[in-house]
Amino acid sequence: MNPNMLEIWIIAFFTLALFSFLYKDNPLYKVAEHIFAGLSAGYYVGLIWDTVIIQQLWDPILDSGKWWLVIPGILGFLMFARFFPKYSWISRVSLAFVMGTTSGIFLISQLHGLVLPQMQSTMLSLTTDNGIIASLLALIVVIGVISTLIYFYFSKEHTGILGVTAKVGIWFIMISFGAHFGYTVMGRVSLLIGRVHFLYNDWIGSFSQIF
Amino acid sequence: MNFWQRMEKMDRRWVYLMVGIAVFIPFIIPAEFPISITPEVQKLYDAVEALPDSSNVMLVFDYYPSTIAECEPMTIVALHHFFRKDCKVVTLSNIPLGGPSMAEAITRSIAPLYNKKYGIDFVNLGYKANYVAVLSGMGTSIESIFPTDNSGTLLKDLPLMKEVYNYDDISFIFEVADNATADYWVSIVHAQFGTPMGCGTTAVSAPKYYAFVDSKQFVGLLGGMKGAAEYEILVNKQDKAVTGMSAQSLAHLLIIGLVILGNLGFFLGNREKKEAAL
Repeated sequence: MNPNMLEIWIIAFFTLALFSFLYKDNPLYKVAEHIFAGLSAGYYVGLIWDTVIIQQLWDPILDSGKWWLVIPGILGFLMFARFFPKYSWISRVSLAFVMGTTSGIFLISQLHGLVLPQMQSTMLSLTTDNGIIASLLALIVVIGVISTLIYFYFSKEHTGILGVTAKVGIWFIMISFGAHFGYTVMGRVSLLIGRVHFLYNDWIGSFSQIF
Repeated sequence: MNFWQRMEKMDRRWVYLMVGIAVFIPFIIPAEFPISITPEVQKLYDAVEALPDSSNVMLVFDYYPSTIAECEPMTIVALHHFFRKDCKVVTLSNIPLGGPSMAEAITRSIAPLYNKKYGIDFVNLGYKANYVAVLSGMGTSIESIFPTDNSGTLLKDLPLMKEVYNYDDISFIFEVADNATADYWVSIVHAQFGTPMGCGTTAVSAPKYYAFVDSKQFVGLLGGMKGAAEYEILVNKQDKAVTGMSAQSLAHLLIIGLVILGNLGFFLGNREKKEAAL
């Protein structure tokens, strides 16, 4: 059996072992699950060690003399203080740095990059310059956005015009859930197709070379 | 026990088996279902077609091996499209598990078909942790984030990377993602640096990202295997996604049938209970 063939059979074994859970929980499934968890953790640690610690900290300090990288290095090292209850407070210094920078970056990027452009794209012209269909779709978007936002407005009881608008909002939310569910089904079936594609073409296809 | 009661009590494993058979059948007996092209996929294709030949583009492998059925056909067909237009392709990944190696395997398998050479026509930057720092930092200098490529070669030794310093030198970014990293490409890279961007995403995430096409933050969108199949048809490279769509259609028909049966059973069962109570 050549290495490529061995790879195909190992993949097929783990695919079938994981699928066996659909019938019921069993030792084969547990073996596959534990091996996957262990391999992922090991691979992740190795990758981070090489791409972050070595390439972005160790090498630049030693080879390029970027001594100021010692500061983030120390901040990172302080995170390990969490393992020692007596000194765990020290890790808060690093956490404060991470929280501060992350908040600063995300506040601007989320507002500038997501909230404002998305708001802008719902402010549509309702005139019929681009045709009646475009105008109708724009109207649906405007009604959908306003009614959905009103559904999530909880400072006043949903009665009268507010209640009617909130009910319209529920319809839009339900339609959105339906679309999401439909796409989720499609996604999950796609993943199954991917495995079946492999099992039929690669694994069953390899039988002729072995038997 | 009547038919509907039996349906309500049916073991869910029968449903799994039926879906499994429905997916398997089209592989044994090939059947063709029509695939129409949606405007979002057409826009993405047109945007890539409109790029000047030999443009520098970025292809991002932000997906885990668990979603290769949906995402891999997108990256494969995008590479065919880019290489056909003589684009220089820079690949990278923000996904530690599998991202860099999938980028390596796919680019190196397709590049020879177009006589493309590593380092001159395409480069795989690999993976770096902390996508926020990575995406922001590449706006200043790609080399500051990725001093070496995925194989450990210094970027300054790669001819392509001598002309690609930061996002200003990238004409188009195609992000293929199975998670929320697409949000960060939009909010950090597109919003701050204005680089045109397209996205391929899993079906689960697709409804969310259609809004980004309307807001023109993405030039186009591939949603799940269907989006990949449409792109394969447009690029004329029918492969796994188009093949998979037959199984997809059959499985959907089965699920629709089961949903109708389930609802009918629920309503008829309720009516019988009410009649029995009277």
